[in-house]
Amino acid sequence: MDRDLLRQCLTYHGQSLFNKLKCEQIENPDFQAVVSDLCKATCESKSDGQDSPLVEQFIARKADILFCPAWKTATHREEEQLEEEDAAEPYAIMPPVELFMKVSYDERRAMLYRDLEKGDLVVGRINNIREYGFFLTLLCTAGGLKRDIEDLELSALCHIREIPSTGSHDDPLSYYQIGDFIRAAVKDIDRYQEKITVSLHQASLFPSLEHIKLGVFPREELPVHYSRSIRAAADSSETYECILKSCHGYHNPCVVDYLLEKVGVSDTHPPSMMRGLQSKLFQEEDFASAIRKKQSASWALKCVRAGVDHFKHGRHVEAMNEYNKALHIDTNNVEALVARGALYANKGSIMKAITDFELALVSCPDHRNAKKYLCQTLVERGKQLEEQEKLVTAEGLYRRALSLDDSNPEAQEALHKITDTIQKSIRLREEALAKEQKATSSQTSAEKLRKILKEDKRMKKKRKRSASSSSSSSTFSRNSSPSSSSSSSRRRSKKKKKKRRRSERRSKRHRRISSVRSEEGKSEKDRKEKEEDEVEWYPAPPNTSATFLNQKGGPGFGERDEEVVVEKDAEDRRICQLYSLSAASEDGESDSSRRDGKRGDREQSRTRKRKNTLSRSPEREERGSRSREREDRSRDRGKEDYRRGSDSKRRSSLDENRKRKVSCSSAESEYSRKSSFKSEYLGNSGSASKHVESRMRHDSSKWNSFDGGRYENKGWEEIREREEAKRDCRKGKVEDERSDAANRKSSVGVVNHKPSNLTSVPVERPKKDLPSNLLDIFNQIAQFEKEKGVGPK
Amino acid sequence: MEGPSSYVPATRDRQLWPADRRESGGDAESDRDIKTHFRVCRFIMETGVKLGMRSVPVTTACVLYHRFFERVSLHAYEPYLVAMSCVYLAGKVEEQHIRTRDIINVSHRYFNSGSAPLECDKEFWDLRDSVVQCELLILRQLNFHVSFEHPHKYLLHYLLSVKSLVNRHAWSRTPIAETSWALLRDCYHGAMCIRHTPQHIAIATLHLALNSYGVELPVGEREWWQVLCVDVTKADIDAVISDLLQLYDMEAKCI
Repeated sequence: MDRDLLRQCLTYHGQSLFNKLKCEQIENPDFQAVVSDLCKATCESKSDGQDSPLVEQFIARKADILFCPAWKTATHREEEQLEEEDAAEPYAIMPPVELFMKVSYDERRAMLYRDLEKGDLVVGRINNIREYGFFLTLLCTAGGLKRDIEDLELSALCHIREIPSTGSHDDPLSYYQIGDFIRAAVKDIDRYQEKITVSLHQASLFPSLEHIKLGVFPREELPVHYSRSIRAAADSSETYECILKSCHGYHNPCVVDYLLEKVGVSDTHPPSMMRGLQSKLFQEEDFASAIRKKQSASWALKCVRAGVDHFKHGRHVEAMNEYNKALHIDTNNVEALVARGALYANKGSIMKAITDFELALVSCPDHRNAKKYLCQTLVERGKQLEEQEKLVTAEGLYRRALSLDDSNPEAQEALHKITDTIQKSIRLREEALAKEQKATSSQTSAEKLRKILKEDKRMKKKRKRSASSSSSSSTFSRNSSPSSSSSSSRRRSKKKKKKRRRSERRSKRHRRISSVRSEEGKSEKDRKEKEEDEVEWYPAPPNTSATFLNQKGGPGFGERDEEVVVEKDAEDRRICQLYSLSAASEDGESDSSRRDGKRGDREQSRTRKRKNTLSRSPEREERGSRSREREDRSRDRGKEDYRRGSDSKRRSSLDENRKRKVSCSSAESEYSRKSSFKSEYLGNSGSASKHVESRMRHDSSKWNSFDGGRYENKGWEEIREREEAKRDCRKGKVEDERSDAANRKSSVGVVNHKPSNLTSVPVERPKKDLPSNLLDIFNQIAQFEKEKGVGPK
Repeated sequence: MEGPSSYVPATRDRQLWPADRRESGGDAESDRDIKTHFRVCRFIMETGVKLGMRSVPVTTACVLYHRFFERVSLHAYEPYLVAMSCVYLAGKVEEQHIRTRDIINVSHRYFNSGSAPLECDKEFWDLRDSVVQCELLILRQLNFHVSFEHPHKYLLHYLLSVKSLVNRHAWSRTPIAETSWALLRDCYHGAMCIRHTPQHIAIATLHLALNSYGVELPVGEREWWQVLCVDVTKADIDAVISDLLQLYDMEAKCI
């Protein structure tokens, strides 16, 4: 029992209440504890017994409720959320009641000095400015305390120290004039001498009023209750009720809820003086939501039972209807989910079944049937996946099944089997890889020759086409259709090879890829810089397959980057020289001489270029095979080869021009090997030439990104990309010889201008396929990684 | 809006009902009726809390109930069914829609404490039908006048006004708001809630709350309650308070 409250009450009501209290609360131990204290209070009582004995009886009877500390639910919160009203006026802001009550001047003045506190907000008007500050006539209080004080002739001093200076040296008082409305915080109240000092420092306000800005404010911002009280004072016919009903806030439909919260009374557990309505007596399970929940569950269960009945009699559709109805009544009903899952599983919708079982296990993780069924379904699904050769996913499912039920023999068996299969497949892949290595290195020179020849044929056609563009369309369409079909089959075989290869050499490649990628970016940059800034460095075009590869590959291979970084610079140089390798050895002299010639004779560069390609072809077969071999070796064996190759090269190749030539020639040879890609190449060159200028710019980035992709996607597209990129690169490199490059460009551009449109379809087609291919490859990488991680266990 | 339909100065005897309300019955019968009404209103309030209804809809339900039985005999209709329909209707009127299923569930549990929830069978649908039918009956009986002015708004505004008169520390120490709100809610156990004007009820509950804690307000030429409502007299306040106190007495007798 709240002793202070009781004392206050007894002081008010006097002895008679005390007697009744003693009578009514005789069994209340709380009251007995405080009763001795209260005797004194009763003695001081000034009560004249004017109150009805019934009220006293009521107080006495309900004292245990009234004075119970828990009865007071409103906390000091109300003080915190004072005054945010105004514009919206969620409730009627009324003028102070004492205005209507006509409380005497003295009493009001005494009340104000009693209740005004340091930190309160007051509103006043400047009536006098002295050198030490200014005086305010207080008009009204704002914030929590709402009092009618205008006619109390209260004056408050705001000392110059209490005026925040604006930083400059001039007198802060100069900003204020007599008649200004000022909001100020009470700084000090001298209750005996009745002096009030105020401050304009924001810090002197109550923290709850902090958002109110002190200082001068316009007349319109006078507090609402003040302006209303002025109106009420002026017109005696304005009663409290009239004002209340005229207020906008009074008609707010939510006013009750708003004010209830403001005064701190709970409306969900409303207070009551009735003993039977104490909210603490209500049991949680009697509340509507609890009953509804229980009821929904039982109704749903009924439906499930009916559904199971249907199911047992083979009426699957009816069963499904019942289950769905159950789930409609009670979403996430465990039994319904399990039953529906079982039905799905029976009907072969394994994924749906798994979803249902999983949902059931979410709300009830220990449901025996749900676990059992999910386990079985997962095994089932695993077998399905196994048939589709998604071994790792299947293995994951088996493991999950075992995690649910580690004694499930089926899952155990399946897991054993699949682990074996996976290991076997790894072994197979390794073997195949070894074979393939041989196969690639022994690619016959005859085949290469064929390719080169085809390539030359194509070049001739191109030239023809430039003369008569109409005829070119037919050749093109002829060319493209068979190649696309052949390429797809080839792609498939390639992919398989790639898989095996990759699995074996993955670790090696990790290092190399990252290094190569960064190096080539760099070396390329260097080159560009030398090329008189004609070719700028652009980021990779976002939608090329190459960038896609690069982005995807980046994080995957990033793990090993650190070790490589150290060697980067050295390697950088080496790589440049690697490309110069073939130049120096085979082709260097002829090339350089040719180039010189080109430089000298710009007008004839076009024809020369043609000659160039023609004349090059005979030597190309040996050169190609050699460089090809070398490159294969280097790629397969790793860095050491690079180093070796570059070492030898370092000696032989010094000429920058040569280097470029060489790299281009090696690239050409490489691409010419693959005669079947010719048409694709053609198409690409067509589209490429269409954007020659931009391509030139993108060269470096392309080169870069393509390198990232090279080792990840060894599919057919990738090779095409590589060739294309190399070709572009070559173009870029030749750029410094302006005329030559321009001529080449123009020739290619003229030749391919028309076909580019026509070939766009065959070119696009493989590109569209790319993502799925990539996904497959990534899947396989992931698979392999898993295998690696899981295998040793 | 609601006005003081038939204000009769309160007397201490049992003759609470206006003479014109019902011609029949002696003291004993009306006493029994009052007790029934008290119980049913208790049912409405308890149900309201369990349904998560706010104070105003519960109040509306009680007023609907009292107004309905102001017009018809208690013997003609099942009071609890009327009460359920009143709750349902009040939810609609005060825009806190309560579903019949919840009303039936909570009521069923109220009458059969600890019982399992109802099955979704004919009994349930019959109950639901009767609730909805009864709602229509109430609407017709009340001539579709189902929107009332309640004292709640007044009380809350009065509370704020009175609060300014009191020292803030004294106020925050004293649970005036809670007490007056509880008293106001409890008023609806009896037909007194429709016999007094809302303002009077609000002032009376606030008065009783202040009185209970011995909070003294400054006195000017006029009392605070005279200011808040011009036409209220001390007798009015005393009448409301005495009616209210009788309801508290009744609790011991009825429940």
